[in-house]
Formats: sequence, C-alpha cells, structure tokens
Amino acid sequence: MKKLLFLIPALAVTTAVQASIPINGFIESKCVIQSDTAGMFGNPTVDKLSTKAADGGVMPIIRYDIVTASKYKAVITTPTSFSNSPNLSDSLDWTSTTVAGQMSDAAMSIFNTDKAIYNNGHTTEFDLVKSGSVWFNVTSEVEYGVGKALPSGSYTALIVAECIAK
Amino acid sequence: MRFIVLFLCLLSGYANAHQFTPTYPKLTVSHIAGVYKTEMLLFNAREEIRYYSLNVFDEEWNPIKFATESKLIAMDYQERKYVNIYISKTDVKKAKYICSKSKILQSVKDPSIVASRICSKIE
Repeated sequence: MKKLLFLIPALAVTTAVQASIPINGFIESKCVIQSDTAGMFGNPTVDKLSTKAADGGVMPIIRYDIVTASKYKAVITTPTSFSNSPNLSDSLDWTSTTVAGQMSDAAMSIFNTDKAIYNNGHTTEFDLVKSGSVWFNVTSEVEYGVGKALPSGSYTALIVAECIAK
Repeated sequence: MRFIVLFLCLLSGYANAHQFTPTYPKLTVSHIAGVYKTEMLLFNAREEIRYYSLNVFDEEWNPIKFATESKLIAMDYQERKYVNIYISKTDVKKAKYICSKSKILQSVKDPSIVASRICSKIE
C-alpha cells in the first residue's frame, strides 16, 4: 500500500516532465518594400539632372522581399514632375528606366524579360513569379527647356514603389 | 541555397521597410449591422516615414467608401499597428483592394524619395 502511495505521485511527476510544448510557426505570403539607396541627382550639364553614375548622380535602389512566389506584382513609377523645386518657367522632359539588378535567385531575371512598361515609359510592372529578394535600379533624367539652365536651388522628385496582390 | 539566401535576407531585419498584411484579407460581419470588417497589420521600418494613409479600391481602382479609426495613421519607427477596416454591406462586393501608402513630409528634402504602397486583395 505504501509503495503505491509513492508510485502514483512519481508517475504524475514523470508525466509533467514529459509534457511537450509546441512551437507554432506560420509563414504568410507578403511583399516587403525597402528603400535601399536614396537617389541623388547629378548635374552633368546646365539643363540636365540625372541619377546616372556617369552623370555624377546616385541611382535609387528599391528592394522587394517576396515571401511567396506569384502572389504580387511590383509596379514602380518614376517621377514626371518635381515635388519640390525652384520656380520653373519652361517645360521638363523626363526619361527613366527601371530594371531588376541584384537578385537572390538567378531565375528572377525573368522579371526583366517579362516586364511591362506603360505611362510613356514612366511605369514599369514586374510580375513577381519567383520568391526571394530583388533590388530594382531606377534611373531618372530630366532636361529643362532647350538647353536652358536649371535655376539654382534644391530639387526633389518622388518615385512610387508599389506591391499589389494578384 | 535560394532559401538560405532568402532566410538570411529575412533574418537580417528590415532596416527601411514597409509591410502590410495579410495578402488576402477576408471581410467578416462586424458588430454593427450592415457593416463588414477586416483587420490589417501595418509595420513601419522606414525611419524617414511617420505617416501612412489607407484606401480601399474596386477592381478598376475607383475609391470605395470605408471607415477606420483614422485614414492617416501616425507610426513610429519599427512600430506595428493593427487597423480595422469597415466596409458597408452595399460596397462589400465591389471592394477589391485595401492599400497602405507611405506619406512623405514636405520637410523631407532627399532629392529622390521613394513612396511605398502595398495593396492587399480582398478574398
């Protein structure tokens, strides 16, 4: 009888020690947009501002992290006006390119082959059919009038990076 | 290899990121009659961003009326916030996208700034 009295609490303790504690995890599909490198305009000629390195600028780089493939599309729209600038009396001619540069998976090069460009070349749409991280390089150039000097002052232009669920 | 790279990227943290989840939110009946709701999670890891705006659109990207605590959300750096989106029963079938967009203050003078917008698709 005494043995039984010892055995029952002992079993209870053993059960408590062996109780398993689950760690649950769930990876949900998501798209993360990161402003990797802030761009900077170079001023190679009096009438031009450009983010190209050859023109003394710094190319803005936007990183997208795609957790699940084929759930999102990336839409990047380059500027067609300044959000902040000195008074400008003449027309501005904007040109731009957006390409997938660095990528965590070589297969992501399909983003460049299958991209769609519209809005006079200012909007580029990439179908994010591969998961991983991709860095989009954006170049933006603007020319003022016909060889007219841009007034001195600070200039700011806005890039819109979007991730839209499919 | 690909997954290791992705894992390391994800593990490295988001120094300058904007997240808006879930990707496919579901609208459920709310405590108010004739109103549906869903809960979204917004994460701000963009140091230069302090505000995000919310919007709801239909399939053709026309704005849809909705209600929330605030359509302009103040976010601290690396803050997570749950936001409830309320849509009237009459608009539930039309509503297709819920979007969050970073708002850039006029005082930010970077020559080339990135506004980020993430849109989830209503199931």
